Amino acid sequence: MNVLSFLNLVDLLVCAVVLIAAGGAALHRNLLSAVVFAGVASLAVSFLFLRLAAPDVAMTEAAIGAGLSTVIFLIAVRRTQETEEEDR
Amino acid sequence: MNNPVLILELALVLAGAAALLAVWRLLKGPGPFNRAVAMDVLGLVTMPMMAALALYSGRGIYLDVALVYAVLSFLGVTALARYADRGL
Repeated sequence: MNVLSFLNLVDLLVCAVVLIAAGGAALHRNLLSAVVFAGVASLAVSFLFLRLAAPDVAMTEAAIGAGLSTVIFLIAVRRTQETEEEDR
Repeated sequence: MNNPVLILELALVLAGAAALLAVWRLLKGPGPFNRAVAMDVLGLVTMPMMAALALYSGRGIYLDVALVYAVLSFLGVTALARYADRGL
């Protein structure tokens, strides 16, 4: 298999992971699960930035998105409540 | 069998299979902490994918992204574990 088409296949799989993780982060009732899904989406987007030859953007995304925002969201969930309220 | 690109393709395929198994656990896992383990495994599997990408493209700066992600994904999973222990 040609290397270029093979790497494009890897990119498509990572895009599918981004879609799944973003849908999970938007739809889950349990906010801890939503935080974990957001972390996975950030990781996959960081890999896509790396594939687009932007290693500095990928490094910032890995530092801020995967490291800091997960911890900050966890502190926010800890101080409020763990599950989302039902729609009225 | 002396083609180095073939080795990189094989490494990417095996890491991608491991990532798909982790995504399956991410979607199926009943609680948020099963999903946290899946996020940790996804981070661990993405790092050799980034290293193989660095080896393929010949740019050493890509390895720094994997290094930053390795340090900071540890932070997120540790925060989730502390949350499980009610001590965040």
